[in-house]
Amino acid sequence: MGDTQFHFRIRQCPGRKPTVKAHNAYNRDCPITLQSESAYYYGFVYFRQTKDRTIRRGYFQKSVVLVTKLPFVALFSQLVSIIAPEYFDNGEPSLEAACHDIDQWPDPIPGDTLNLPIMGTVIQVRVPCRSDRLVGGVQAKSQERHTIPAHSVLPTLHEVDIYSAFHSILPHVQLLWELVLIGEPVVVMAASPSVTCNCVQALINMITPLKYCNDFRPYFTIHDSEFKEFTTRTQAPPPVILGVTNPFFAKTLQHWPHIIRIGEMGGLGTSPKPLNKLKKAASLKTLDSKPGVYTQYKSFLAKDKMILKRLMKGSQSKRPVEAQNAILRRHFLELTQSFMIPLERYMASLMPLQRNISPHKGAPLLRQFDPEEFLQTVEHSGPQLTSGIKGDWEALYRRFFRSPNFEGWYYQRQREVNQKLQVLHMEALSNSNLVEWIRDKEEVEIVDLILRIKEKLKFAINNHTVVQQESVMKLQKHLENIVSALPDDLQTVIKT
Amino acid sequence: MAQRSRGDDPEAEIRTMQMRDVKVCLLGDSGVGKSSIVMRFVSNTYKPSLESTIGASFMNKSLVVDGMGYRFQIWDTAGQEKYRALAPMYYRGAAAAVIVYDTTREVTYRAVKSWVNELRSYGPPKIVIAIAGNKCDLEDLREVNRKDAEDYARSISAIFCETSAVTAINVEDLFMAVARQLPLEDFSDGDRRNGSTVNLRSSPEQRKKQCCSGGKNSPSSSSTSRPQSSRQS
Repeated sequence: MGDTQFHFRIRQCPGRKPTVKAHNAYNRDCPITLQSESAYYYGFVYFRQTKDRTIRRGYFQKSVVLVTKLPFVALFSQLVSIIAPEYFDNGEPSLEAACHDIDQWPDPIPGDTLNLPIMGTVIQVRVPCRSDRLVGGVQAKSQERHTIPAHSVLPTLHEVDIYSAFHSILPHVQLLWELVLIGEPVVVMAASPSVTCNCVQALINMITPLKYCNDFRPYFTIHDSEFKEFTTRTQAPPPVILGVTNPFFAKTLQHWPHIIRIGEMGGLGTSPKPLNKLKKAASLKTLDSKPGVYTQYKSFLAKDKMILKRLMKGSQSKRPVEAQNAILRRHFLELTQSFMIPLERYMASLMPLQRNISPHKGAPLLRQFDPEEFLQTVEHSGPQLTSGIKGDWEALYRRFFRSPNFEGWYYQRQREVNQKLQVLHMEALSNSNLVEWIRDKEEVEIVDLILRIKEKLKFAINNHTVVQQESVMKLQKHLENIVSALPDDLQTVIKT
Repeated sequence: MAQRSRGDDPEAEIRTMQMRDVKVCLLGDSGVGKSSIVMRFVSNTYKPSLESTIGASFMNKSLVVDGMGYRFQIWDTAGQEKYRALAPMYYRGAAAAVIVYDTTREVTYRAVKSWVNELRSYGPPKIVIAIAGNKCDLEDLREVNRKDAEDYARSISAIFCETSAVTAINVEDLFMAVARQLPLEDFSDGDRRNGSTVNLRSSPEQRKKQCCSGGKNSPSSSSTSRPQSSRQS
């Protein structure tokens, strides 16, 4: 009864266009974790349920749902909480008004602070940018003067309060971090969808700046079209994170390896009862079971007691939730970075040397990632350099390599590096004296060169944002000169 | 036009100066010219046939008045009846409301009074009210007597002026008059931004007689010198 807010995530029908074209520029510069979804939609819901005798069923029950591909959880939750109550009071014209306001919104340019007028108020929020420093504050940009101290300043576009979300299961957060990192199936059970969606979103957030690449459903119900697919017992549980409230799931998902049960939140500021013991998943019979983490998973890393002590102390001294959340966030950011830095370093070592880039050979490629070779570097320059946490990092890496999170990260890096190499190669080609070079060459070689230049120009069109316009012009000039130096009959062949 | 205090480049001045944010909403019947007034004020343009507004449109405009910077956050509401119930969203938290009527349509003037009553009952307690009789360029078609409207405005301590979005007459003055009438106490936008800094307005200014008469604050006599320090804070 009353008002409830939550969000869900659903698959887009297959065969639809994967991304909105207008999002391309945004996706290029935003943090990877904030890219617009290619195959999913988010739905941000504001649900009202009140007694109303005049209605046949005795209740007024309606939702306003905001559908989007952008994972701006904080912004859109705020937005729907402004729009929905007005709609319930004043009907459709308020939706028209809201849409009209949103129509006027500027594009989300990473790094910009946006002023978003909505129904008589202005929300101000900054869009993070890939080049932001992750630790420490974000430096204000010079375009500060465009910003107006708005009626409501939103501190974040997308983050949820992970401290409150994990309040009742704090002692296990590091274990949960491992589960999310290696992409294990996890189900979150709670009585309300607002609790499950906060918790699921908090889990995903924990491995920032790494993108969580598996499917996740902040609020999953028996009506979702993947219900059968996700709950079948004939296969191992799928590697997804689900948030559920229907008691029916307690039975249906009993076989899942990791179950988080969140109870009602006590008053904030009260210290959470540390539920230190992990429980066997099989002991979870009904949704009435006690809050806690039900799993038989053995952590690879030793528990960091320092962070827990700090949070306990903060909670006893009534430190504001925002500060607790910031501490916990920072802890996981540092942990994830400690885990990723050795990988980034190894990746950099796979780059070919600048001097191996020759205009007369093909563009060099990144060397293949070799897990064993990488693991050898972990011994002397692994996460222990930046993190005090002890444990079997190597085994954690091995599990991570098998997860889509690794795959997603690796492909992203590979794409970036190969694109960079192509650009360097193109520049090398455009800067060399090709007319001189073809003088003593056979026709076959010249034609080969022409094809290579054409290929480069094609690449330049597809990657116009990273390619220097000057290099393109030079190449076009080269192409003209080379072609005109060929015999006439060959020229016509080339031009077709 | 009021004289700009000093500095030959008002744009540069606006950029460096401390600005006070002012939420303003425009209210009034459909077709009286609210959007045209805003368009004239914000971009100094006029379009003969604007589409009717949906819900409300939002725009920003900065203005320097008596050496003080104001950034108007303007909510130009829709006049159509179906959006009537949304009005509280736009005057909620507003520092000023501009109620517009059409001098050539008596019926739109009658609506002014109901807006005033609504604002007095449900609006922010210290909201500055301005009444603007638009389309004053169409003297031949006039239906609303200027004196009547002016008297009414004075009786409720509202700013009054007749405007024309077509000729631009009094449009900027209207907003300047609003700026001058804002209560001084919430001047530095909340509080923190400048800590202990006091906003010293440039010396008492000679004010020309404005077309826009502010109800209680501007005496109807000819030009008066009104030292700012005499205002209560």
